[in-house]
Amino acid sequence: MLETVIQLFPGIGSLFVQDTTIAFARVFLILFGFALAYFGFTRTLEPLIMVPMGIGMIAINSGVLFLQAGNIGTIFLDPLVEQPDVLVNIMQVNFLQPIYNFMFSNGLIACLVFFGIGSMSEIGFILARPWSCMTVAIFAEMGTFVTLVIGAKMGLPIGEAAAVATIGGADGPMVLFTSLMLAPKLFVPISIIAYLYLSLTYAGYPYIIRLLVPQKYRAMDVEVEIPQVSKKAKFIFTISICALLCLLLPVAAPLIMSFFLGVAIKEAEINPYQELLENTLLYASTLFLGLLLGTLCEAQTLLNPKVAILLVLGITALAISAVGGLLGGWLVYFVTKNYNPVLGIAGVSCVPTTAKLAQYAVEEENPFAMVLPLAMGANICGVIVSAIATGVFVSTLFLVK
Amino acid sequence: MDVVKYAFFSYGLTAVISLLVMGVIVVISKALSNTEEQKEM
Repeated sequence: MLETVIQLFPGIGSLFVQDTTIAFARVFLILFGFALAYFGFTRTLEPLIMVPMGIGMIAINSGVLFLQAGNIGTIFLDPLVEQPDVLVNIMQVNFLQPIYNFMFSNGLIACLVFFGIGSMSEIGFILARPWSCMTVAIFAEMGTFVTLVIGAKMGLPIGEAAAVATIGGADGPMVLFTSLMLAPKLFVPISIIAYLYLSLTYAGYPYIIRLLVPQKYRAMDVEVEIPQVSKKAKFIFTISICALLCLLLPVAAPLIMSFFLGVAIKEAEINPYQELLENTLLYASTLFLGLLLGTLCEAQTLLNPKVAILLVLGITALAISAVGGLLGGWLVYFVTKNYNPVLGIAGVSCVPTTAKLAQYAVEEENPFAMVLPLAMGANICGVIVSAIATGVFVSTLFLVK
Repeated sequence: MDVVKYAFFSYGLTAVISLLVMGVIVVISKALSNTEEQKEM
């Protein structure tokens, strides 16, 4: 009787024949997925990623069935398949497998997201206060380098420590890209943790801002004059910077090219392309990114003993980067006296979330203050600095003994 | 190189390259603005 029920409802039945730890982890992840999707719905977490991710997480841990030869699995995707012949066979069955192999595990999805981010970025904002923007962005990268040391001291191999440390750059596509290059065996949990925490910045960073910047300073408006730069000038320096960064950091060239191509298309006013990148491509990629991240949260994949260390390091990296960014904001304030220290948080390159958080934090205290253009400038510098840090890691990590 | 020294080295290198990039952005934008102003005159 029990066997018939197990065969009839394999999603439930498999819970009773699996290892108890995996069964409990599956139930936990179903509930966790529910919480993520719900908090996405209420806008406590970033809905664009959290709703598909939460639902993907629920489905992958619920839709477990008995496969051939008594194996237990799903028909979503299997990230651990490596042999080409098995992969070709599994692509005929698992509906998300082609998207995972052709878009996710080679970093293409990260590049597509960067096309969209580039096409939405106004590079002219950097020119309003170029050195201030870059200073806060450099400070906001602090979490990456501090976490590298902590990770290595906690016993992670240097490649894995560097990959998880890039969470401090708060740039999802960059983390995906780096972990593929430096820690291919851990890239699934690192990417999941990165995106999970990036959504938490939405909820957690306002507290760090309030803690480190007193109300009086948060309310400061900043006088800023955005220089009128022609489209031609912006287009020329966009492609010049792209060329320079690709020359300096060939390992990060796909991401750099994707970002600056988006910017160049915007400045060249190629409207059909811009609409395609900004609306269709960006949102389609984000939807599949969220869904894939959710479906990668299979209990067996996440029950890696290193995941606990990654969880600690991920949140440490993001917290230190936020503190670093705000310290950079204070430094610029003390030097220029015409800068709101809150803008430092926008140096953390989670585009455009941290820029919006800076504006909200200032607006809460002074409804007439408008710091968003400067915050977007710092945000774009944050993306550039994160790309540089990634390139530096990938190119020079061999120096560590 | 031990990991602490490497962290300082890589952070420093990142900062230097970032500032270099910003220098290029500023120089190009100033050069292009000047050229455009001269054309307008």
